[in-house]
Amino acid sequence: MFKKLRKVKELPLIIVLVVISIFIAIVNPSFLTVENFLDLLKSNLVLAMMALGMLLILLTGGIDVSAASVITAVNVILGQTLMHVTQNILFAIVVACAAGIIMGLINGLLISMLKIPPIVATLGTMSMILGIVLYTTNGNWITGIPQNFIDFGRIVILPRTLADGRVIGIPIQVVFLIPIIVLTWFVLRHTVIGRGIYAMGGNIESAERMGFKTKRIIIFVYSLEGFIIGLSAVAHTSIMRQVDPNAFLGFEMQVIAAVVLGGASTLGGYGSVLGTLIGVSIFSVINNGMILMRIPTFWQKIAVGLIIISSISVDMIQKQKEEKMKVCVDVEGEELYAV
Amino acid sequence: MATPLIEIDHISKFFPGVKALQDVSFSIETGEIHALIGENGAGKSTLIKILSGIYQPEPGGIIRMEGEQLSHLDPLTSLHHGIVVIYQDFSLFPNLSVLENITLGRFVKRGRKLVDYKEMRKVASKSLEQLGVEIDLDTSLGDLSVARQQLVAIARALANNAKLLILDEPTSSLSSSEVDKLFEIMRSLKSRGISLLFISHKLDELFAISDRFSILRDGRYIGTYGENELDDDQLIALMVGRQINYTIYPKRYLDDPLLEVQHLTKKGNYKDINFTLHKGEILGITGLVGAGRTEVVKSIFGLNSSDEGSILFEGKEITIKNPTDAMTSGIAFIPENRLSEGLVLRKSMRENLALTILESLSNSFGLIDQSEREKIVKEWVARLEIRPDNPDLLAAKLSGGNQQRVVIAKWLATEPKILIVDEPTNGIDVGAKAEIHKLLRSLAETGLGVIVVSSELPEILSICDRVVVMRRGRVTADLHCEGLNQEDIMSKAI
Amino acid sequence: MQSKLKKVFSSKEGVLFVIFVLIFILMSILSPHKFLSNYNIQSLAYQLPEFGILSLSMMLIIMTGGINLSLTFTATLSMIVGGLAMSSSFESTGMAFLSVLIGVVIMLLVSAVLGMFNGLVVSYIGVTPMLATLGASTLFEGISLNITKGGAISGFPFMFLNIGNSAILGIPVPMIIFIVVLVYMWILLEKSRMGAAIVMIGCNPKVAEYSGIRVKKILFQTYIISGILAGIAGIIMASRYNSAKESYGSSYLLQSVAASVLGGTNISGGEGKVLGTLLAAMILQIISSGLNIFGLNRYLTNVLMGFILILVLAINFITDYLKKNK
Repeated sequence: MFKKLRKVKELPLIIVLVVISIFIAIVNPSFLTVENFLDLLKSNLVLAMMALGMLLILLTGGIDVSAASVITAVNVILGQTLMHVTQNILFAIVVACAAGIIMGLINGLLISMLKIPPIVATLGTMSMILGIVLYTTNGNWITGIPQNFIDFGRIVILPRTLADGRVIGIPIQVVFLIPIIVLTWFVLRHTVIGRGIYAMGGNIESAERMGFKTKRIIIFVYSLEGFIIGLSAVAHTSIMRQVDPNAFLGFEMQVIAAVVLGGASTLGGYGSVLGTLIGVSIFSVINNGMILMRIPTFWQKIAVGLIIISSISVDMIQKQKEEKMKVCVDVEGEELYAV
Repeated sequence: MATPLIEIDHISKFFPGVKALQDVSFSIETGEIHALIGENGAGKSTLIKILSGIYQPEPGGIIRMEGEQLSHLDPLTSLHHGIVVIYQDFSLFPNLSVLENITLGRFVKRGRKLVDYKEMRKVASKSLEQLGVEIDLDTSLGDLSVARQQLVAIARALANNAKLLILDEPTSSLSSSEVDKLFEIMRSLKSRGISLLFISHKLDELFAISDRFSILRDGRYIGTYGENELDDDQLIALMVGRQINYTIYPKRYLDDPLLEVQHLTKKGNYKDINFTLHKGEILGITGLVGAGRTEVVKSIFGLNSSDEGSILFEGKEITIKNPTDAMTSGIAFIPENRLSEGLVLRKSMRENLALTILESLSNSFGLIDQSEREKIVKEWVARLEIRPDNPDLLAAKLSGGNQQRVVIAKWLATEPKILIVDEPTNGIDVGAKAEIHKLLRSLAETGLGVIVVSSELPEILSICDRVVVMRRGRVTADLHCEGLNQEDIMSKAI
Repeated sequence: MQSKLKKVFSSKEGVLFVIFVLIFILMSILSPHKFLSNYNIQSLAYQLPEFGILSLSMMLIIMTGGINLSLTFTATLSMIVGGLAMSSSFESTGMAFLSVLIGVVIMLLVSAVLGMFNGLVVSYIGVTPMLATLGASTLFEGISLNITKGGAISGFPFMFLNIGNSAILGIPVPMIIFIVVLVYMWILLEKSRMGAAIVMIGCNPKVAEYSGIRVKKILFQTYIISGILAGIAGIIMASRYNSAKESYGSSYLLQSVAASVLGGTNISGGEGKVLGTLLAAMILQIISSGLNIFGLNRYLTNVLMGFILILVLAINFITDYLKKNK
């Protein structure tokens, strides 16, 4: 049992999460309440979904800096659809996903067919998508989302009434999060294309020699990420009940940071769904803790930056140490190392 | 006679300006170990790429498998027919488990959409069993030694139902016991009716394992011979089209110490290394791959700092923490892998040549004296007879021998007192090898101390005055080369 | 002579120059009164330097095989810290020259320190540049916001505004600074030992290390230079806007990558030309200012910038592809 636990690569991350949580709980016991937990869930659900999408991208060795502008664009499209086309929620969800997929597809095509490096391609689409969004909205909020959608967003599962009369429960938006978790896990773990994502992140030439169509994998991955972003937009809009074209400014950095914190490598091939979820959790717990400890919001950015740099630095230093200790020669008279 | 497994029938391949293969025809029988031999550039790799479907042959060429024509091979259909190439880098995935490395290809090949871990486990253990090796299926491949990674690659080929296994220089990074193990496995595969096409530069290995040899020279097919039809000399003669012998240079006794290595030790690398290099001497360091030779010389050049011991230069102890320190003491190091460590391939000969002497070429403001650079570059291109002699040419465009000359030139330009060369003729044509030997020898004549790290004993015996033999991280012999033969050295290395 | 001319125009820089001229002519024809107006040419000359310097800074890092995502926040954090020092010393002493001197020196120092920070993380710790500078950008932004609390730093002495807004012998001061930076960068990359080392490190750091180049040290220094260049751009921006704020110049981040790539810098390192980046920056600048004159929404200009970036890379890919298949 213990041995098996040791094999879990995410163990150090789990420990970090637990330690931080304990620290915050000691400073402010309200951290450990069900209410706070539900708040945490609700406010970080979108981050978690987007992070899972980004994980797919990072695994292939790519990066998507347009993610935040894509979700903004889908938010706008979703809002406009609900207000001007139909109030049918299901239809709106389909539209949102389709919009996400199309934008992801464009990224995927640019990267796979035109061989544009992912960071440059997505920087380009980011600029274009955000430009179009800001042009059409003029940077103004979209309010007046139909009541039925707002009501939908307010649904709680397993409601419970508190002493002060408020009703708390699991936010309805988990119906987006949980399928996405299951979907990414299933794709990555149990489908051939999912293993191909890891394979091409590990060694793209070998993956091609093995028969993986890496171009198709790239297109698939960016489209799937687009789909996930589409659903994230639905979740986000149903929580916020309005669309702020500037809400996601710089959000892509947070998403990437959370995924990297969860053990994924930007060079591809390494990372897991569990790790990413823990990365997101660490992130949200720290943010939440800072709020609970009344630390000004500006500090959060500093914390985020420091966390990204220090966590990767520690990782790198560890690797360099291992590299130095590596046994190259089975030297006579030295104790044998099992290889 | 039964239908051969593979018939290669009038295969040619032309690239702009190069006829890589011209009208090559031979066949590979079922269950034989067939060696494919030729110098670099003879067309071996082109032929492999045609068999594996990466290149298409010129029209008119036909490949038949068990009598049936294979029209239009691409990498996938080639795999489908059971033609599996194990490249020098194995094409494995360091981030995936052994299990997946062995079996993932099967799923791709069959166009499956989902992976079935139970089935994978069954297939993987079966193919490892067939090889007679035990490797934990859940280990990440990156954690395995090179030899074991190779076994995984072979296991993968078995899981892909390989009929023809093509091994490209499979022994290049194995120790001798590992080579023995590999040969044992190759023989057992052969007894199962799997054919192996084996590519190697090492003649003793070729003779040890192969049933037949097919020889290519300059893209042309020379012939196929049975294992008893040829000896070393004849084989080399067929390969290069002429009889060549390594010149045995006269051995000298020199006693003016230049570099003394004393009790040098690094955990997991080597232990208690002692030797002395004299002025004007070529000192060989040999031993099996994995004996710690490269690790020692890298330490002398500051790329792999040692734990204990001292290095004396002209009698004075020096500290070498990085290559700059080593260069200050006049030490130059030419790494084994020219292409990834020696040259920047997409830059010009000029930029490569000047890379080591940027410091001395520039004034106190850090600005480079362009005319001085031009002068030095031209001088070295002329002195080492680098062809073509155009400094603007990209390093990638040069032949292997000339690339090696550029690497040597860039180090000679630093006016070193000690030149360390790791496998100086690795992957260089037989003809060009002799030229490099002559060059090294003439450098030593000028008073330079040269250390040659090499696994090729004929090379050591040809050019070195003395040889240090290493085994498992230790020095086992320090011999003068006068009258020495290969067996003397081998007995100390094994 | 003719062949020489042909060679010039078939080089990447030659093509860029032709494109620049064509766009310039096009803009002039479409709007001779506005585009060619003295006012517009002047404002172009005042705007180009900050963008051009940031582009050169980005190019330098891309040449080493990295990318600097913290570029604009390096500029703004240094202008905020320096600006704070400048305005508070001006307030307490009333000595304009001294305050400006203090402010400018601090801006440069801070930018050097921020570059050093990136350099440390990238070269000595070995974090991939994209992640290191990504983290740094969040960090720098956070620190900036903490200082400004979301507002802007102002109250600079009038003398400081001269840096960004005045001219010497009819040449705008920012332009003079830019020319100095251009010459410096050209010497650095084309003539100096360090430039030669940067190019080789960008191609193959291992070969460079094995050739006795102190790869870590050079990388470290390169990030410092990149930081200082960002700091210089920051000084010009702070002076032009008469204030310091963390969001200034944020659109330059993408555009500087675009200018580098458009100018022929290899995104994976080892190649880059000062002249190419300069021409690319000029092209992007006249496009955006031209479109501005035609009354195109500034957001649509962003769209166009993104489009141009992708278009250029697509054209690169297609021409390479055609060449290969020939």
